[in-house]
Amino acid sequence: MTATAEAIERGVLGERLWFYSNYHCNLRCSYCLTESAPRVARRELSAETIVAAAEEGAELGFQAFGITGGEPFLREDLTGIIARLAQIAPTLILSNATVFNARRLRELEALEGLPVQVQISLDRPDPDVNDEMRGRGNFAKVVDAIPKLLARGIGVRIATTVDDPATADAVEMERLCELHRSLGVPDCDHVVRPIIRRGRAVAGQLGRGVGFEDFEPELTITADGAFSTPFGPTVTGGRLDTDLLVTRATSPLRRPVDALMRIAGEQSAGADARIGIR
Amino acid sequence: MSAAGTPPPRAVSPIPADQAPLLARSCYADGAPSPIVAALAHVPELLDVAMPFVAAALGESFVSARLKEIAILRASAVLGCHYCVRSHTVVALDEGLSRAEVVALCGDEPAQDAFDDERERALVAWVQALAGGRGPLDGDLERHMAACFSEAEIVELTVVATATMMLNRFCTALGLPVSDATLVRLRAEGLL
Repeated sequence: MTATAEAIERGVLGERLWFYSNYHCNLRCSYCLTESAPRVARRELSAETIVAAAEEGAELGFQAFGITGGEPFLREDLTGIIARLAQIAPTLILSNATVFNARRLRELEALEGLPVQVQISLDRPDPDVNDEMRGRGNFAKVVDAIPKLLARGIGVRIATTVDDPATADAVEMERLCELHRSLGVPDCDHVVRPIIRRGRAVAGQLGRGVGFEDFEPELTITADGAFSTPFGPTVTGGRLDTDLLVTRATSPLRRPVDALMRIAGEQSAGADARIGIR
Repeated sequence: MSAAGTPPPRAVSPIPADQAPLLARSCYADGAPSPIVAALAHVPELLDVAMPFVAAALGESFVSARLKEIAILRASAVLGCHYCVRSHTVVALDEGLSRAEVVALCGDEPAQDAFDDERERALVAWVQALAGGRGPLDGDLERHMAACFSEAEIVELTVVATATMMLNRFCTALGLPVSDATLVRLRAEGLL
């Protein structure tokens, strides 16, 4: 067993290796961590970089992969990347689910039988309230896409982002749960998470401020370097945040892995109330 | 300077404390870090190895701090690094070098004559040749060093000088600013 696998087994390091495939997005959400929007710099990781890191990650002991952005499905080569990763380990893609036109859905059929899940953002049970934060027409596209993905054998999870899960409107949340159940997504595949006050949420004073100790250490590879969590490579006021940066070098992967294990190992005991992106 | 009198933006801005990368946090623990740390923090894995090396090479060791400051200040002056010259002028004074010795080390003329101790004269000449010359060093200089220092001392002092030269070019290239405290002290000493 590698040192990385042991660290994962002991909970020092998360089992999932994350990739920021790109930073651009067709939406401009009010709480977006990365200030993503249609015209921001793409800052893509090449397919070769992602696959090579995934292969090395699996050798080191990572047991799953995650792809986020930006909107990953804006990349024309994403389905191929997912296929390569899912042949190695279960792969989760975070998506706003608004770009699944007929062509993309046909492409996704190539993933049938592979351990692939798409985690889709859906914040409110009512279109007008949901779309207030995520953009007009978002709700309808999401509700349309979920059954189509499931019909093609793609697993779907729902991620709901609220200002504070502890004080979220229980009635509204139950209506949201009824909705995702009706779309074919069970409760076990529904995650409710808080808005993190990073990125665009800073200007809007949304959510809660957090630090390294609040997150499970999950190595996250981006075009700008390796970060300690997928909540790390945020952009605030147009500038990349570096407070959760581990190393600039991402290859060989062992380098940021060893650095993060060292950092996580130095963390004080009792830091167990952590936030996960999935 | 721009028309408004403000300096133009530099290619690299310092990483502020609230953006200190994880590997850099210990370097920020005591408040504002040095400009070298705040610049190197852009590449935390380099900072992670560079600062322990710099501390080992330039910090307290079996070679006296006075000898080290002679090497640092002379190398910095020869390479024309304003940041290092000004910062280490203060350190050199604190380590007991006289004002005349410091002025000589910072000047354009050969500085050996400001020192009476034969070891210090050999060191100044050695660093002058290291920082100002090209190719192999003169054999007489090497023999002079060997007569004055042990092999371990020569190795350490050469590392002090060459590590300083690396920092000299780094600080100069990035235009790192001298701290206000250093400038105040240099004015008080009449050295600015």
